[in-house]
Amino acid sequence: MISRRALELATAVLTGSFGVAVVVSSLDNGIGWSSAGVDAGTFPCLTGIIVVLGSLYNLLRGVVPAATLANVPIAITSIELRRLAGLFVPAAIFVAAIPLAGMYVASALYVFAVLAIPRHQSVPRALAMAGATALALYLVFERMFQVSLPHGALAAALGF
Amino acid sequence: MDNLQELLHGFTIAVTAPHLLLMVVGVLLGILVGVLPGLGAPNGVSLLLPLTFGMQPVSAIILLSSMYWGALFGGSVTSILFNIPGEPSSVATTFDGYPMARDGRPTTALATAFGSAAFGALVGVILITFLASWVAQAALAFGPAEYFAVYFLAFASFVGMGGAAPIKTVVALALGFAIAAIGIDTVSGSVRLTMGVDELVKGVSFVVAVMGLFGIGELLVAVEEEFHARAVSSKIDWREVFRAVGRLPRHGVALLRSAAIGCWMGITPGGPTAASFMSYGIARRFSRRGRHFGTGEVEGIISPETADHAAGTSALLPMLSLGIPGSATAAVMMGGLMIWGLNPGPMLFVDSKDFVWGLIASMYVGNIVAVALVLLTVPVFAALMRIPFVVIAPLIVIICVVGAYSVSNSYLDVVMMLGFGVVGYLFKKLFYPLAPLVLAIVIGDKAEDAFRQSMLISKGSLGIFFANKLVTCLIVGGIALLLLPLLLQLTRLWRKPASPATDAPVQERAII
Repeated sequence: MISRRALELATAVLTGSFGVAVVVSSLDNGIGWSSAGVDAGTFPCLTGIIVVLGSLYNLLRGVVPAATLANVPIAITSIELRRLAGLFVPAAIFVAAIPLAGMYVASALYVFAVLAIPRHQSVPRALAMAGATALALYLVFERMFQVSLPHGALAAALGF
Repeated sequence: MDNLQELLHGFTIAVTAPHLLLMVVGVLLGILVGVLPGLGAPNGVSLLLPLTFGMQPVSAIILLSSMYWGALFGGSVTSILFNIPGEPSSVATTFDGYPMARDGRPTTALATAFGSAAFGALVGVILITFLASWVAQAALAFGPAEYFAVYFLAFASFVGMGGAAPIKTVVALALGFAIAAIGIDTVSGSVRLTMGVDELVKGVSFVVAVMGLFGIGELLVAVEEEFHARAVSSKIDWREVFRAVGRLPRHGVALLRSAAIGCWMGITPGGPTAASFMSYGIARRFSRRGRHFGTGEVEGIISPETADHAAGTSALLPMLSLGIPGSATAAVMMGGLMIWGLNPGPMLFVDSKDFVWGLIASMYVGNIVAVALVLLTVPVFAALMRIPFVVIAPLIVIICVVGAYSVSNSYLDVVMMLGFGVVGYLFKKLFYPLAPLVLAIVIGDKAEDAFRQSMLISKGSLGIFFANKLVTCLIVGGIALLLLPLLLQLTRLWRKPASPATDAPVQERAII
């Protein structure tokens, strides 16, 4: 279970640290006024500062429970968390597998795994859908629009 | 009457066999993404974007805008038949649309929705026809300072009128600006904010961001709640369609009021979602049958639908004439315009007349095509909703992954897209608005350039933003909008010092 407050804090920390990174990184480009006009780092630095300040405000709002936050103490229940993970974890593994397996193999495996392992569909149907997905991708992208999708290190090793 | 002549010329471009075919394809794809939860107009349009790079700009924009109309209509279908809004902007349609459909009048509900939606869109297009070239004419005299002031006003109006928590809007905007700044700086040529990752020199494409924020993010929100697609009958009774549309003029006041709200919210970047909620709320307050709202009232369907489509259509006005999109989807289309080598803004009306008037004419035709197609295909798309979500979800993930990759054949983009997905989920969950974030990513560079150019002209003095009446008005208006939430907060505290803001959840609901 994740409380609304924890989620607010985590998001504020996330945006805030991005803001800090932007400020630090933009200092390299120089901020302020030079002979060439406004320096390249000025605008990003300003936006970074605004992000940091805004995140701090959101952080404080999260720590001090306001009326609105008290109304929704729980943002994500454990069941919802399991559903989220059920979608996101396979998707992340799929993306991680693309450099190795290539887009076609990875997406076919992904569709098969998501459908067959939790037994949403029977194995033959899942296999058929996985095959159809890879084939459709190939036809639409490689053939119709001539966009080459990554074939993967595995395919390269096999000589494709 | 120059406009009418140009418009007639536009019709000769829009009403040709290949373009009509593109409209049909676009509308059908649009209805599809509108019906599927997790895919909406912004990422539907951005998914299609890489496929338009080889097309003529006018054909490409007809395809994309038709998809937009289709998505707006498709979102209402599921709202009414399944109580599941396919689009954020059709959430308000569920309030009265679903009860009416459940009571055995699905055809009436659908026909009322489509009829009023078409009316809203028509008002929006007429507004564009007569106003866009005039605005563009005025904008031709703009210098960098005026441009920055207009951008500033646009961003400030998100904060002042967007409906989300103001500071969250500010954070979303500033994040977008920072993301837009990543890569090579167009003015000085130096590399910015790559944080040691060389591949980031090319910058972060807005397509990648939109795909993650709206595609994966919305999917994650959708998967949380299990769908119970308890469909009411989706059979269409054609005689009832005409009867329901025939009854629409009786609600003329509601129609006109909602269209006005929609146009206003579309031109100022409030967006269709805010417009439909606002229109519904106002209708409930002013209608004589306001007490019955939520039980299947006709005006409860008319108001959000008219405003939704009026806003969606008129959001293209500032995009065409000023280069400032009025909604997230318009922002994506504007990104497309820049990729096709067009320069959104007043010069479009001088340099690319065929493009502009072809697009405007196609809006008239496209909306008619959309109404006809959506009525014909309701049973087909309703059947689609019976496909379990677990089957659709991985397909949407794959579409987003392939889409992000195909922008510039980069694996890093895919990883970033997934990251944007997490951010999109968090933002949606915590009511950070996504539209300003996308808008800032698309036009952040232009706003920055305008600021730096005006600083060059004035040799570093901010006085240039108060140099003439127009700039001063725009800047002062922007500052006023920025301060508006603060003022409202203060007056609220003044009136009832002890009680905390109780209407906040309603507000938060409005921006889901």
